[in-house]
Amino acid sequence: MANGTPSRRPLEPWQDPKARPYVRIDRVTKRFGDIYAVDDVTLEVYQGEFFSLLGSSGCGKTTLLRLLAGLEYPTSGRIYIDGVDVTEVPPYFRPVNMMFQSYALFPHMTVEQNIEFGLRQDRLPRRERMERVNEMLELLRIAPLRKRRPDQLSGGQRQRVALARSLAKHPKLLLLDEPLGALDKRLRENTQFELVNLQERLGTTFITVTHDQEEAMTMSSRIAVMEAGQIRQVDTPTAIYEFPNSRFVAEFIGSVNLFEGKIIDLQGDDVLIEAQFGGLMRMRSLQPHPIGTPVVVAIRPEKLRLCPTPPNNGRVNQLQGVVEDIAYLGDVSIYRIRTPSRLLVEMTLTNTQPRTEQVLTWDQEVWVEWSPTSGVVLTD
Amino acid sequence: MKLQAVSDDEPRLGRLINIGLPYLWLGLFFLLPFVIVLRISLAEPALTQPPYTALWEWVDGMLEIRLNLRNLQLISEDSLYLQALLNSLWVALVGTLGCLVLGYPMAYAIATAPERQRVPLLMLIILPFWTSFLIRVYAWIGILNANGLLNGFLLWLGVIDEPLKILHTQTAVYIGVIYSYLPFMILPLYANLTRLDRTLLEAAADLGCRPWCAFRRITFPLTLPGVIAGSMLVFIPVVGEFVIPDLLGNPGSLMVGQLMWTEFFANKDWPLAASLAIVLLAILVVPFVIMQRLQQENEMN
Repeated sequence: MANGTPSRRPLEPWQDPKARPYVRIDRVTKRFGDIYAVDDVTLEVYQGEFFSLLGSSGCGKTTLLRLLAGLEYPTSGRIYIDGVDVTEVPPYFRPVNMMFQSYALFPHMTVEQNIEFGLRQDRLPRRERMERVNEMLELLRIAPLRKRRPDQLSGGQRQRVALARSLAKHPKLLLLDEPLGALDKRLRENTQFELVNLQERLGTTFITVTHDQEEAMTMSSRIAVMEAGQIRQVDTPTAIYEFPNSRFVAEFIGSVNLFEGKIIDLQGDDVLIEAQFGGLMRMRSLQPHPIGTPVVVAIRPEKLRLCPTPPNNGRVNQLQGVVEDIAYLGDVSIYRIRTPSRLLVEMTLTNTQPRTEQVLTWDQEVWVEWSPTSGVVLTD
Repeated sequence: MKLQAVSDDEPRLGRLINIGLPYLWLGLFFLLPFVIVLRISLAEPALTQPPYTALWEWVDGMLEIRLNLRNLQLISEDSLYLQALLNSLWVALVGTLGCLVLGYPMAYAIATAPERQRVPLLMLIILPFWTSFLIRVYAWIGILNANGLLNGFLLWLGVIDEPLKILHTQTAVYIGVIYSYLPFMILPLYANLTRLDRTLLEAAADLGCRPWCAFRRITFPLTLPGVIAGSMLVFIPVVGEFVIPDLLGNPGSLMVGQLMWTEFFANKDWPLAASLAIVLLAILVVPFVIMQRLQQENEMN
């Protein structure tokens, strides 16, 4: 996307029409009884991606992952991995490994034996197996634990062993079900970076499932936001954040202010919107909309500007209100501003100065303004 | 001060009762009878009431202790007893293996059945207990007889021309033992199998393990405690089994239980019967103690 992070390569694979997807999910539906866990999903993931399926619980993200692993079979649709149709292939013949949310370490085996498990199935000679086990123990820095059993490990150590076991067969595609879900916050943040480094070093394609949007934002090359078995948007973290394609995605990722209104005029790239709060908005629109379309303008709290005096921009893109709530978070402060039309607007300000005195206080009258490119115009 | 002392003592008393009760129970109903049996096994049979001699006597101010070890000698020398012991162990072994081979798939099927079906299926396993054990074994006579249900059915099918001789053979004992003790194998296995984490099998499949391999490398090793518990619950009582071999078995190959019965009630040789009981106990207990030791050591490492 236009405003995305500076890319490492000139063209990302998903932008390249000639690139061949490594994983292709083609109109896959999975039904349990009369519940559609996965509903007509089409998705392409490219070699070397760190792809995240993001959604709240019950949105079908784990089912989609299990379909890729072969632990479930689709009700309809096809799944291709590396160009091969694997829709009906059982898990033990798929070139895919999975790291389970519960880790699913074999309790009667040592760390070493757990890692070696998959290699035995490949009938590798013992020497080679041991080399591979050592490689994995080194890679994840768990060599001192090699003779321990899973019940003698901490949560973080288990997570590493599970990762080592799933990587031991050098899969081209690794599926991770909430890989950091069971770790505490501090450990999770450190492990996020480690996981990304590992993925970049090995070049393995990762598809992870997570409900944690921050986690998805930090780690992923692309994110698919899921809801009720369907994919709502697939894009890079920046694009998902800056250019959500729907109200659902905008609200799901981060906080957002939603201003409802109706288009009353087209002015070049911009549209003029009559807002329900009683003012006018001029916003850059990525898609053309006819006059009269009801729209929602989504603006992130940090994109709003605070003015102690009435802004001088012809009463467009501005709001007046009083400070109702202040939340001091250290690096930033969140302000909730109530407008005369009872609308609650949220904005964040970075605390650049030592907080010796209040920039704003409760019940203070303020003005808020924004630029036409600071948000997106949504119709859904 | 005094009040505090009382309340301080109270938990200690509670703990004493807590620990004491099972010990008291074991002491009264296991250790004491064992000592009595051991004591009888060292006496000599006598035409008195009770029918054995005293172990010690005061004769002219001298304490005479007479320990009779001839029974142990007899048991180890007379092939009748040795054979009965071996036969008992053999029947118990066949019975245990039979129960395991039949019971494991059944327990597995129940444990993997949909949740709503599990309780009814378990009930079917437990239901036979509602009929007397003796009656159930008797019923097998009716089934295995020369003109019983089984032979009648096979003759009607035309599979055989004349009735099979099953009743009063070793086969009938195996059938009776496996039938009677199957629930004791299934229940601990079922308990173990339901606790098995299904995602472990998914993980095994994901790592390239086919279903049979997953069973061999994951399911079976993890249900080994259930296998051991079930096997002990079958093996130990079957070694001393009396009713089944007596009703269904071949009178030519006796089990220890039958010999004990004969010695106690027919021959009135209580010391010999008691000696047999002690020998049997030693045969059963010693290997298990050794096994448990090994297991403990294994866990320590």
